Amino acid sequence: MWRIWLLFDPRRALIGLFTFLFVVALVIHFILLSTNKFNWLDGPTAAPTAMTLSSSQPLRVASID
Amino acid sequence: MAEEKRGSLSGLSENEARGFHSLFVTSFVGFTVIAIIAHFLVWQWRPWF
Repeated sequence: MWRIWLLFDPRRALIGLFTFLFVVALVIHFILLSTNKFNWLDGPTAAPTAMTLSSSQPLRVASID
Repeated sequence: MAEEKRGSLSGLSENEARGFHSLFVTSFVGFTVIAIIAHFLVWQWRPWF
């Protein structure tokens, strides 16, 4: 297995490997931050409140006439 | 005459290749261990399956 370094230049291989790992890590972290469950900075965002009514505001019902 | 030992494609000698390989494997194992620990901690925090 060590003979692979007779084929590939270790300096180039390391630069490529580190660049690849860095990009993959960056992508994975941003994907996780964009999700609701795994965002470790803001936590889960609040559930949508579209169906809740606040009692402070009267319910307006459109009249037919 | 065909015994041209010097000049691998990467320019490394066999000893250099062996030395770099042992360092590479050690680093890879360390990276993997750290990654396993990180995944274990994240699994404890919020399992994803």
